[in-house]
Amino acid sequence: MKLITLVAKIDIEKCTGCRTCEKVCPTIAIKIVNKKAVVDETLCRGCGNCNQRCPADAVSMEKLAEPYRVGVSIDDLPYNKIDELCQRASLNPEQIICYCTMTRAEEVAAAILKGAKSPEEISQQTGVRTGCKVECIQPVLRLLDAYGIKPVPPEGGYQWYGITPTIWDIPSEVKDKYNARGFYFEEDIRLLNEVKDTRKEAKR
Amino acid sequence: MSKKTITPQKPRISQYGVDPKYITKRVSEFPDMTSVMLKELFPDTPQVIYPSEKGIAEVRETAEKALKKIDMSMIKSTDSVNVCASHHGFTLLGGEPYAQLLRTIRDVIAQRTGTQDIRLRAGVGLRFRETEEYIKAFKLDEHYQGKAKGMAPVDQGIPIKTEIGTLYGLKAVYDADWVVHAHNSDVREVHFHRQVDRAVKPFGMSYARIETRSTYHQNLGPRGANFTARAIFDSEFVQNKFAFAAFLDMSPVGVVGVDVDNDLYALNDRLTAGGCRYYGKIMTLLGEIDECIAALDFPCPVPYVFAAGVIYANFAGANVDLFDLDVPLPPYTWYTEAFYGKDGKPLIDKVPPVNPAIKMALHNYAWGGYPSAFFSEHIPTLVVGGEQAEVMNRDPQNIEYMSYAVTADNLDTAMRFAYNSAKTDKVIIFDGAAGGINVSEPLARLLLEKAPQVNKRVDEVLLPKWLRQRGIDTQIIKAAVL
Ligand code: SF4
Ligand code: SF4
Repeated sequence: MKLITLVAKIDIEKCTGCRTCEKVCPTIAIKIVNKKAVVDETLCRGCGNCNQRCPADAVSMEKLAEPYRVGVSIDDLPYNKIDELCQRASLNPEQIICYCTMTRAEEVAAAILKGAKSPEEISQQTGVRTGCKVECIQPVLRLLDAYGIKPVPPEGGYQWYGITPTIWDIPSEVKDKYNARGFYFEEDIRLLNEVKDTRKEAKR
Repeated sequence: MSKKTITPQKPRISQYGVDPKYITKRVSEFPDMTSVMLKELFPDTPQVIYPSEKGIAEVRETAEKALKKIDMSMIKSTDSVNVCASHHGFTLLGGEPYAQLLRTIRDVIAQRTGTQDIRLRAGVGLRFRETEEYIKAFKLDEHYQGKAKGMAPVDQGIPIKTEIGTLYGLKAVYDADWVVHAHNSDVREVHFHRQVDRAVKPFGMSYARIETRSTYHQNLGPRGANFTARAIFDSEFVQNKFAFAAFLDMSPVGVVGVDVDNDLYALNDRLTAGGCRYYGKIMTLLGEIDECIAALDFPCPVPYVFAAGVIYANFAGANVDLFDLDVPLPPYTWYTEAFYGKDGKPLIDKVPPVNPAIKMALHNYAWGGYPSAFFSEHIPTLVVGGEQAEVMNRDPQNIEYMSYAVTADNLDTAMRFAYNSAKTDKVIIFDGAAGGINVSEPLARLLLEKAPQVNKRVDEVLLPKWLRQRGIDTQIIKAAVL
C-alpha cells in the first residue's frame, strides 16, 4: 500500500523527446506523443524516476492537492492461498518486501492472485517499486514466478531485466569454495527458512 | 568548561536536503558540548595524511607515489578506461580528498599509458543525482575533459554471467576497455556488509543494476548477501576488464594513506583488517553508552550521518557486535526491517531490538533520499523546523518518516524538549567532526573512562575473532596497518 502524494509534470519547452523517462517509469505511466513526454496521471505513482533521470531537467514533481492511497486488499481472498504462494516464493507473507511503502509479501501475492501479471501492474496496484525504485524487484519477480507467470520486461525499457538467484540456488561447490570468507551461506539459509516458516498465530 | 568542540561539516546545497539557509544553528554550539579526540581514547590511533598541515597536496603526493607500484602495461594508448567511483567517497571530510584521488588517478593513467580516453563513471546509492552534484561541485567534469558522468541503478544494464547465475551491471561501467575501481576503505554500512569483502562491494552495488542490488538485500540473506559483489567481480567478463584498484585508506580520524593494487583481494584483506581494528574499537566503545540523545547534524540521509567515522545506522545497532558474524541479524538492516510483522513485533526471536541507549534522536540536519521511516518508528525522533519535515514528506522514500516523528520550531526548543523528555544529559553529535567526536561533557567522561578496557578487549579478544571469521590471517594486522 502506498500513499501517493506526488505527480510528475513535464515542461514541454524543455522536453527533447529522448524517451529516457519512458524507459525508467516502473508503472508505464509515460508515453512519448509527438516527440514530447506525456504523463498518464492516473498511473503515475510519484516515484520520481523520470525526474531523476531526465537529461533535460524537464520533469518536476508536484504535490497532489488530494493525496490518495493505492493498495490491494487481502481480506477478500482465502488467506491460505496467499500463504501458499508466499511459501512457494520462500517468503513469509507478513515480511516487508518494499521498505519505502512498507508493503508486505501478502499484498503482492494478493495482487497476483487477483490477476496482476507483471511487475508494472503490481506497482500500479500496490505502489511497490515506486519509493526507492531499487530494492524490491526480486521478491516481486519471485512471487510472479512462484505463480507460474514469466513476465516479459517492457520492450526497449530499463525497468527490469530478469529474475536472479536466491541463496537456495547457490551450488554447493560455490559454497564450499568460499565458505571460509565469512559468507555464512548455510546459517543464512537456516535463518531465512525460519522466517519463511514461522507463523505468528502458531507461535501464540 | 573543558575542550572546545570540533567544527562540524558544513551544510551542503543539495536537492536531497533542506536549503543550508535553514540550518541556523548546529548542535555543537551549545555551551554544554565538548569534544573528545580519538587519540585520547585509543593510543594506537593512526597518523593521518589528511587533515594535515600540508593539506590536500599530501593526498595527491601519496596517491602518485602509491600508483607507481601499479602495473598499467595492459592499457594501450588507444584504449579507453572507465575510472569508477561512488558517492560515498565524497561524503568523507568534505569530499575533497576523494575528488583529489580521482583527479590524480586520471593524470597518472594519462601520463603512464598515453591514452586520453579516460572517463569518470560515478555511481550512487538511492539518490540518483547525488554524484552529478559532486562532479559539478568538485569540477571533475573539467578535469576529465568533459568525460565525467553520474550513473543510477535504473540506467541501461548489462547481463553478467556469474558462478551463481546471471546478475546485472550498469552498461556505463563496462563500456570501456578497462575498468579502474576507485573507492575508499571507510566502513560505513557495517550493518549491511559486515566488513566482508568491503573493497569489492561496489561491483554489487553502485556499479550494479536494481536486479543485483535487490538480490543483495532480498535474496541472499544478511551475510550471504556479500557474495553478490564477489560473484560479479570474479566473472570472466569483469576480470577481462579490471585493471587495478585505488583506495583512499580511511580511519575514524581521517585519511591514513592511499592503498592500490592490481589484485583487489589482496587490497581487500588489508583494508578488512584495518577497518575491523580502527572502526571496531570506536564502534565497540559507542556500544558502551548506556543512555543518550543522538543529534543528527550532517549533510547526508538520516542513517549516514557520521560521528567519529561511525554512522547513525550503526549506532542504532551498537547494542550488538556488528563485526561478529555469528550474530545473524543486526538491529538495523533491511533483512531485519523486513522481519517485523504487522503487529510491529519481530516475526522471529533472532531480531535484536534497536539500540535501547538512544532515548531520542534530534534531527537538526539530515537529508531524505533513503528509506528512513524505520528509524523514526523505533526511536523517538524530533525534527527541527517545518522545512526539514517537508523535505521528508516530499520524498517518495520517506512518505512515512513524519508519521512517527514530531517537529520543533527551532534547535533551542528542540534541545530543551529532548533533555526534558529523554531525561539524560548525555548527547552524541553526528556532525562529521574530524579527528574526534562532539559530545556533552557527561558523555565525554563516560567514553574516556570506558576506552581503555574496550581497547584491550578489541585487541586481545574481538579482533582475532573477527579476522578468523573472515578467513584473514591475523598477522596481516602487523604487516599492513601499523
Ligand atoms: S526524459 Fe526528459 S527530455 Fe527525455 S522525453 Fe522524458 S521528459 Fe522529455
Ligand atoms: S511513476 Fe515515477 S517515473 Fe512514472 S511518471 Fe510517475 S514519477 Fe515519473
